[in-house]
Amino acid sequence: MAQATTTLTQNVLREGLILPRTPDPAAMVIFGASGDLTARKLMPALYNLALNRYLPSGFSVIGVADTAITEDEFRARVEQAVQKFSRSQPVDRAVWQSLAEGISYVRMPFDDQEGYGRLAAELERLDRERGTAGNRVFYLATAPQFFSVIIDRLGASGIAKGGEGWKRVVIEKPFGNDLKSAQALNQATHTVFTEQQIYRIDHYLGKETVQNVLVFRFANGIFEPIWNRRYVDHVQITVAEDIGIERRGKYYETAGALRDIFQNHLMQLLSIAAMEAPPNFDADSVRDEKVKVLKSIHPIDVANDVVRGQYGPGWVGGQQVPGYRQEMNVSPTSNTETFVAVRLKIDNWRWADTPFYLRTGKRLPSRASEIAIQFKNPPHLPFAKTAVQELTPNVLVMRIQPHEGASLKIAAKIPGPVMRLRTVNMDFFYGSSFMVESPDAYERLVLDCMLGDATLFAREDEVERAWALVDRIEAGWASEPPPAFPNYAAGTWGPPEADALIEHDGRRWRRP
Amino acid sequence: MSNEHTELSTQSFVDVHAIQDELDQVRWGLHADGEGSEAAEHAAAEARASVCNLITVVGNETERGAVTSVLDRLSVTNPSRTLILLAQHTREADKLEAEVSAQERSESGHRVSTERVILHAHGEPARHLASLAAPLLIPDLPVTLWWPGRPQFDNPLFDDLCELADRLVVDTDEGFDDGDLTRLLGVARRPKARASIGDLNWLRLIAWRHVAAQFFDMPGMLERLGHIRGVSILHGSDGSTAQARLLGGWVRSRMATVGIEVPLEFRPDDSLEHGVRQFLIYTGGDEGPARFSMNRHRGGRLSTQIRLGDQDLAERTVRLESRATEELLGIELTLPGNDVLFEKALAAALQ
Repeated sequence: MAQATTTLTQNVLREGLILPRTPDPAAMVIFGASGDLTARKLMPALYNLALNRYLPSGFSVIGVADTAITEDEFRARVEQAVQKFSRSQPVDRAVWQSLAEGISYVRMPFDDQEGYGRLAAELERLDRERGTAGNRVFYLATAPQFFSVIIDRLGASGIAKGGEGWKRVVIEKPFGNDLKSAQALNQATHTVFTEQQIYRIDHYLGKETVQNVLVFRFANGIFEPIWNRRYVDHVQITVAEDIGIERRGKYYETAGALRDIFQNHLMQLLSIAAMEAPPNFDADSVRDEKVKVLKSIHPIDVANDVVRGQYGPGWVGGQQVPGYRQEMNVSPTSNTETFVAVRLKIDNWRWADTPFYLRTGKRLPSRASEIAIQFKNPPHLPFAKTAVQELTPNVLVMRIQPHEGASLKIAAKIPGPVMRLRTVNMDFFYGSSFMVESPDAYERLVLDCMLGDATLFAREDEVERAWALVDRIEAGWASEPPPAFPNYAAGTWGPPEADALIEHDGRRWRRP
Repeated sequence: MSNEHTELSTQSFVDVHAIQDELDQVRWGLHADGEGSEAAEHAAAEARASVCNLITVVGNETERGAVTSVLDRLSVTNPSRTLILLAQHTREADKLEAEVSAQERSESGHRVSTERVILHAHGEPARHLASLAAPLLIPDLPVTLWWPGRPQFDNPLFDDLCELADRLVVDTDEGFDDGDLTRLLGVARRPKARASIGDLNWLRLIAWRHVAAQFFDMPGMLERLGHIRGVSILHGSDGSTAQARLLGGWVRSRMATVGIEVPLEFRPDDSLEHGVRQFLIYTGGDEGPARFSMNRHRGGRLSTQIRLGDQDLAERTVRLESRATEELLGIELTLPGNDVLFEKALAAALQ
């Protein structure tokens, strides 16, 4: 056998290792480095990636913000944040130290062109000293109004273009606040970055549980054959929250449930519940199928297919809570919706005439995110009428949170000499099979971005399709008289009109 | 974190059908509230998650205690049916005793349940425990045979259980000498081998292998791997040296796939604690000499360093998990089929 003169085309030491490929050494520039997202999510995610050997040698972070602190103070701040918010405790001092050696800070206003010159110099230093080789992730963890200006300055300074290595930009939600602004932001982003360089985050897609829905559907041969209009009566998708708006009154007044949850989380759940099987798990294969679902949504009749609501005072979990209009930073005459229920139809062969009922709301009785597939009744029941009167249809529920898992509601005979049937739930909790800690959604998404895998990020057309639907609903509401808010008490499942929406079709909302 | 462990039932039986009946009873929780109760009906309609059958063999009551404690902790992540076989080839009269129990464990709102059968045989039944174990397995689920310590390769029970199992799990760190490693390789290479081999010691090397592979993911480093000159492994010499041998065997076997022979240097040091302490990969070629080093430190850390010529690149420190036996077993239970890489590393280690 020859000794060591072969040219290798692949890393033969990597074969058989379950862990993913290591990203190239890179510098991550976090705009909004002194903000909440950086402290609570990004830095703990980076620390846990480093701890578990996912980050390459030389990986570096440049925090960018206009906060008057020194580099040492910035490092101390993020260390405190990691100690407080990391899922792995206690924080390993040596691992942190190793990561912290690559952390620096550039103070500048986001629109200051001169600041971008200093940022470029810092990036060049990292290329020289830490071998980051021109690879950059620009993470926009700022308020949305800064997205365009940062992208514009990145383009003007030349940081985001040319030279060696890859350049990627991560943009947090909300990506726009209507179709027009989303298109404008897409256009502005595309003047500097190509679509392949853009990573629009909806952290819901980074959740293990959401990815499990795809595995549940496409790795089990028994479900897909009945996952269609022939066997499914209707689908209910719920994202219910028992909390109010916490301290986000200022943001929520401009967003409402439609922009805050419906446009992103509910549309993502709808897409993965209704999509066709992709040929593979590549970014564009998966996103093509998701976009096809959004394209197939039947034009919505807002007056008949949409219900909005706003909570008044009430009781949730044994606690008396104020109404929305009494929350901090909320107008006492606010007409912002905190609840939306929508009936959708999808015009394709799989789902024609099968309604999808979507709802989301604040201050509902419990926290639950789930996709419920309700199947049609058997065509004929060969049992006496009394035997089956209590019987309800089969329902398959995929729970996202809490208690991730699946439930199948089936009919069973009640033990005894008489033929009597009852409905029972077969519950499968993922937690019971795999009582292991899941990584935070941000860990998965940050790593995917560094590896150049955009499967779990929203694509331009996906975002715009979702906003087009939101705009249509907003336009419908604008033509209606002002709503009589509040119209549901905190701690109830939304306004009576939401019940009427589904009961009109001879169906009922599930109690998640 | 709340942690609750409930023993639902423990009873003794001597007849396989009685054991099966009792297993059905404890599996569906019928003892908890009495047969026919509302709770029992609910339990009967609830899907129970079980991921595998696990058979383990112990030699005496002390080993049984140690194994039971590992299995208790393992049950949290791997709800399974567990058979603990205690075979005593004594002159006592033929005797077979069985204990059936179910455990329910809840932690942070999750609940898992497992069933356990302890079969204690004396005399002739001790030679035929596999025939008793077979009907007690949950159908259609994989069967893992965990043999703590050095397997009794010449014991017919070992062969019988390997026939029954889909996977044999050992720990080559538990005093395996070259003879044991050779016998183990022989089991893996049996013409009609049913059981694939898993080694907890091999799993302890995951971090070392991962970090070593990462060196050559970096831009420009892959060429250097093509010019590998050798590896050097510093390790404690107390007890088994199988871990160092496997690590060296792994590099040698991987590079052999591209026609490169790698000289191995083992540097035992009895002043060091057990296991691999330092792993060095040397490369040469047109790019010049380079050294890729990994060093284990106290507190479960691994530091890495690349030296190109006389220039040191950025150092990195990562976690080197010190995993308990139940964690390693838990990983083993999630691994699919035959691990060809392990088999080749083992063969290369024995060259």
